[in-house]
Amino acid sequence: MPEKMIVCVAVVGHQNNPLYIQSFTEADDALKLHHIVHCSLDVVDERVNNPKKSGSPLNETFLGLLYPTENYKVYGYLTNTKVKFIVVTTDLDVRDADVRNFFRRFHAAYVDAVSNPFHVPGKKITSRTFAERVSTIVKSFGLSSAG
Amino acid sequence: MATFLAQFQTIKNSCDHLVIAVEDVSDLWPIVKNGFEERLPFKRACLNNKTRNPVFVEKLTAEFILTRDSRLRSRFPQEQPLFWFREPYAIVVLVTCEDLDEFKTILKPRLKLIVQNDEREWFIVFVSKAHPNDDQATKLAKKVYAKLEVEFSSKKRERCCKLDIHCPEANFWEDLESKIMESIRNTMDRRVQFYEDEIRKLSELRFMPVWNFCNFFILKESLAFLFEMAHLYEDALREYDELELCYLETVNMIVKHRDFGGVDRGDDQAALLNPENKPLTQIVQDESFREFEFRQYMFSCQSKLLFKLNRPLEVASRGYSFIISFSKALALHESILPFCMREVWVITACLDLINATASHYKDGLLAPDIEKEFYRLLGDLYSLCRVKFMRLAYLIGYGIEIERSPVNSASLSMLPWPKPAVWPAVPPDASSEIFAKEKIILQETLRVKHFGIQRKSLPLEPSLLLREANRRRASLSAGNMFEMFEGRPIISDGSGSDASIKMSPLSPPQKVRTSSISRTNSSPGNFESSIDRPMRLAEIYVAADHALQHTISNPDLLKSLSSIEEFEIKYLDLTKGAADNYHRSWWKRHGVVLDGEIAAVCFKHGNIDLAAKSYEKVCALYAGEGWQDLLAEVLPNLAECQKILNDQAGYLSSCVRLLSLDKGLFSTKERQSFQSEVIHLAHSEMKHPVPLDVSSLITFSGNPGPPLELCDGDPGSLSVTVWSGFPDDITLDSLSLTLMATYNGDEGVKALKSSFAIVLKPGRNTITLDLPPQRPGSYVLGVLTGQIGHLRFRSHSFSKGAPADSDDFMIYEKPTRPILKVFKPRALVDLAAAISSALLINEPQWVGIIIRPMNYSLKGAVLHIDTGPGLKIEESHVIEMESYVDVSQSPADMARSDVAHKDGSLAVDKDFEQLRLHDGRIEFPGWANNVTSILWIPVCAISDRLARGSSSVTPQRQSIVDGMRTIALKLEFGVSHNQIFERTLAVHFTEPFHVSTRIADKCNDGTLLLQVIVQSEVKATLTIYDAWLDLQDGFVHTRKGDGRPTSGLTPLIISPHSRAGILFSICLEMSNAEDEAKAPRPDSILNLRYGISGDRTIGAHLPVAVESPGPEGVRQDLIFRSALVLQRPVLDPFLAVGFLPLPSGGLRVGQLVSMKWRVERLRDFEEEEVSKHNDEVMYEVNANSDNWMIAGRKRGHVSVSTKQGSRIVISILCMPLVAGYVRPPQLGLPDVEEANISCNPAGPHLVCVLPPPLSSSFCIPA
Repeated sequence: MPEKMIVCVAVVGHQNNPLYIQSFTEADDALKLHHIVHCSLDVVDERVNNPKKSGSPLNETFLGLLYPTENYKVYGYLTNTKVKFIVVTTDLDVRDADVRNFFRRFHAAYVDAVSNPFHVPGKKITSRTFAERVSTIVKSFGLSSAG
Repeated sequence: MATFLAQFQTIKNSCDHLVIAVEDVSDLWPIVKNGFEERLPFKRACLNNKTRNPVFVEKLTAEFILTRDSRLRSRFPQEQPLFWFREPYAIVVLVTCEDLDEFKTILKPRLKLIVQNDEREWFIVFVSKAHPNDDQATKLAKKVYAKLEVEFSSKKRERCCKLDIHCPEANFWEDLESKIMESIRNTMDRRVQFYEDEIRKLSELRFMPVWNFCNFFILKESLAFLFEMAHLYEDALREYDELELCYLETVNMIVKHRDFGGVDRGDDQAALLNPENKPLTQIVQDESFREFEFRQYMFSCQSKLLFKLNRPLEVASRGYSFIISFSKALALHESILPFCMREVWVITACLDLINATASHYKDGLLAPDIEKEFYRLLGDLYSLCRVKFMRLAYLIGYGIEIERSPVNSASLSMLPWPKPAVWPAVPPDASSEIFAKEKIILQETLRVKHFGIQRKSLPLEPSLLLREANRRRASLSAGNMFEMFEGRPIISDGSGSDASIKMSPLSPPQKVRTSSISRTNSSPGNFESSIDRPMRLAEIYVAADHALQHTISNPDLLKSLSSIEEFEIKYLDLTKGAADNYHRSWWKRHGVVLDGEIAAVCFKHGNIDLAAKSYEKVCALYAGEGWQDLLAEVLPNLAECQKILNDQAGYLSSCVRLLSLDKGLFSTKERQSFQSEVIHLAHSEMKHPVPLDVSSLITFSGNPGPPLELCDGDPGSLSVTVWSGFPDDITLDSLSLTLMATYNGDEGVKALKSSFAIVLKPGRNTITLDLPPQRPGSYVLGVLTGQIGHLRFRSHSFSKGAPADSDDFMIYEKPTRPILKVFKPRALVDLAAAISSALLINEPQWVGIIIRPMNYSLKGAVLHIDTGPGLKIEESHVIEMESYVDVSQSPADMARSDVAHKDGSLAVDKDFEQLRLHDGRIEFPGWANNVTSILWIPVCAISDRLARGSSSVTPQRQSIVDGMRTIALKLEFGVSHNQIFERTLAVHFTEPFHVSTRIADKCNDGTLLLQVIVQSEVKATLTIYDAWLDLQDGFVHTRKGDGRPTSGLTPLIISPHSRAGILFSICLEMSNAEDEAKAPRPDSILNLRYGISGDRTIGAHLPVAVESPGPEGVRQDLIFRSALVLQRPVLDPFLAVGFLPLPSGGLRVGQLVSMKWRVERLRDFEEEEVSKHNDEVMYEVNANSDNWMIAGRKRGHVSVSTKQGSRIVISILCMPLVAGYVRPPQLGLPDVEEANISCNPAGPHLVCVLPPPLSSSFCIPA
């Protein structure tokens, strides 16, 4: 079975500030994933600011593949409140449907997390429940298609 | 057909434009050649594209070639239609003829022969040599041409045109051009049709075994070439695209294994822009082409067309995807390719593409947003190239030079190692090189960052190179890994070393990092088979170096990898290229991050200034968006640069920023070192004291709860919470905080300063600041400023009662909650007189002052008392102060005061106090701070006037003003006696009684009953104990009494404001001769001895001194004296003045009237004035001059005989001036006392004056 692996998920606020960033690598290299997520905001910005260039109008939340690099893929998702979800995966063979599905579940988890009355909008998400839920979603990523 | 490939290539290479054949029948070409060729290239041609839509082509190149030219003649007439694209597209037949017969017999048959081939597009140009002056010749030529037209032109198509050599018709050339164009268009259409049919036929056979890609390719490319020659690049490009698609399909079908290619010398250099790189014949294999070369060839053809179409952007974008996909293809065949071929190819491909597109790109070619896209693509290409280049450098041991930054780590650690079939082995004679590499490895030390920050460096490798390389060697397993690690310094590979140390030989595969590509370490199967010694790292480097030198044919690349210095130059070059292009695109973040990489190199080379600038940009990027983890990586570098540059301001601000980062990002020790740097610098000699913004580090807020409320003008003390983000205590030499008025920003900024040094603990601190009086309004906290050593810092940020969240980077929200409210000026206290009615004058009296604090404490209040004129304070007596319960207060207040009373007897007892006056000041006791109190001051109003009674004859009331006295009060209170309340109280003093008299009766015996009416003037009960009257001269008490009324009268009690009467019987003194000696007494004096019982809260009361405790019943009576004026009755008039009646006709305005008075002597003018007056009486007439005009002497003497009864009439002419009832003139006798004159009428009277009679003289003419 090919390695279907998400190495990093991130929630980025509407001012491009990181709200939640979690890497799923064992090595202590989260910083490079921070970098990847941060730089991918360039692409998100570009798509948001030049909707006509990217072809498809931005009428859906899923931004699709942001980076066509050789070794990893970065997918983006933009909520109505301009919160961005970024996923970095080393799986070079991902189906869009899987990613869409992943983002949908991730979005639901995020909505639940920020609906917490004790959460301050625009602040980092510190909820442990959210982290656990994200971890579950990440683990189950691609299982449906693999199975 | 594949055999034609070589021929096809040569043909294709030899022609690049359309050919127009010239059939020069009459040897005219030399004459017309120049004219024809001047038309080339055709400026504007209209051709049909593949979909048969007209397309306009600019500058269509073509060539006229004579049919007898060797280039055309050498071809076989039945040439392969395959190469049709090079055949002439039109045939121009040049003829001339001057004779009809000649035309018929020679020319016509010949022409018929030429044009018989229907396949070809032809037309005839008739050249007329006839001179225009030669009419004969011209006519003939016209005739011949007409014949020609009849013969060869049809209705459908004009095939003839005529050129007059001597004077060509104006539209000839246009005509010619359009004819040529028509021919070319028709030919093209036909040929395109042919190719399409052929291609369709072949396509139908796609899945048959006979299918031959080469044939398909030749047809397809011929068609593409046809379009290209006709400048229909779009169509040509489409053909190539279809061809590529078709090829990829065949490749992916993998029916039979084919060579990939790419093993030739020089193949490492990408040829994706060079179609002539290799002849196609070399790459053909099994009816198809080798993938390696052919895909590059396809791309090069496409890019050539795209460049012709002026679309460098598309070249770049197609190129980037091509490189990525081709790189994948290379990866698939990596085992057969030379070592690192893939990386080298990508590097060269990127560089080629960058150079080609950049050189074809002209500024302004594209719309700005498309241009950004173009630069982004260039940036991507540079970036890709850079990554691959770094990978190569790492493999040959230059990894130590590569910054282990997030960007490098992200690109390298996720990039798999090259996977050659067998890892290159160490060349035999490389021991010296190995030694050199060993030395480099040993020399490498983990660079300790500034501030002693020690970080695990980020990985640059997807997995341990050592393991990967050894694993790929045929004969080695990973079993001996453990011993290998002992031979190399652990620190050289930051992240990898951990994993390697942890790894025991028993559990190798599981512990290996899983972040990157999947791999299986060597199976236990070949564990034992290891015979070869595992390679050491230095050996791997050397082996890779040698292998690369073998692979790389590009001298530039070889040079760049030849030494660390060269590597760095190239590395910088690529990084700069990527950064610059990203900066010009939308992708600013990419650009800035790469700036950081450039900065690292600059820093290494001592170009600190440049490094600092770039680092600043990177830091600003990360800080601006709150990416603290990344910021924490770069900021220490910036700080180090700033320190080296001696940029104290920058360095301090960096330290502060470091301190204000998330606490988890640095260890306490590191944070302490940041702080010590700040403090060290602050206390060192700074040339220019620098301001520093510590908003992120020191935050402050007001204390929770309601704001501090102050009254206008009051100082106070404000308590604020200050959060310190410093890891240790920090001493602030001074601190000040501004307050901003919420209503008006520019006016209300006030700074509060703390007077002493403050030590801030880490975390929450509460600081109290003195607050000087502020203007009314509500205030919010403004800016916190302070000083640490020479360092002035400022903080703008406000915490909301919690430590400032580190991710709170953008939210400098102003607190809306006011911290201080200063009320508008209002009455804080009220002073009022406690009495409602008059007090006794000339007696010491208590005057009560009610002091009512209005929600304001009177702590330490001081009252200044200044009495006005006629009033003095009895300083000998104490001042009393007691709490005051106002009966008029609301029930609630009453209840409250009741409660206060019930609270404890002590409190109640306290509510009375005796005070002393010092220099006109009284200090208030503490209990009176918040309760209404009353102050009793003993005063005495002094009046030296004797009270005067009034009589019925001369009614006279005492003016209230006489008894009015003022007390000026000034109350100083408030925290620092800043509040002042001034009031002047008016206190009314009065005599206890008002006396009036009247003669009640006049008895026959001359006794007068004098009624003395005593009116109480005060609101107190007065008791008269005794009363007596001292009479004035001329009056005596009857019966020689002492002037006291009957004894039974006293004591007489007079209720407030009631009256009592006392009767005295007096008579006129008959003989006053004996009293001559006594002092004359002008007035009678009424003496009253009385007592008073009144309440001081109401008004008059017992005088203060009297009130002193004494035995009950002993009363100290008061004496009241009042002067009375008694008038002797008028008893002896000796002159009578009578006003004589006026004429009966009445008075009229303007009429003279004679006023008459009769003066009569009533008795003899006797003794007293004999000497002075004889018989003369002086008179005077007084009249109001407004009413009367008097004629005659107003004043004069008349003589009246001194005998009784003598009379005289004084007559004065008067004229009334106004109508109405007016007072008539009066006659007065100034020399005679009024008492001696009897007047008739006795008092003033009025006379009636009529208006003037109507007179015609007043008539106004109509």
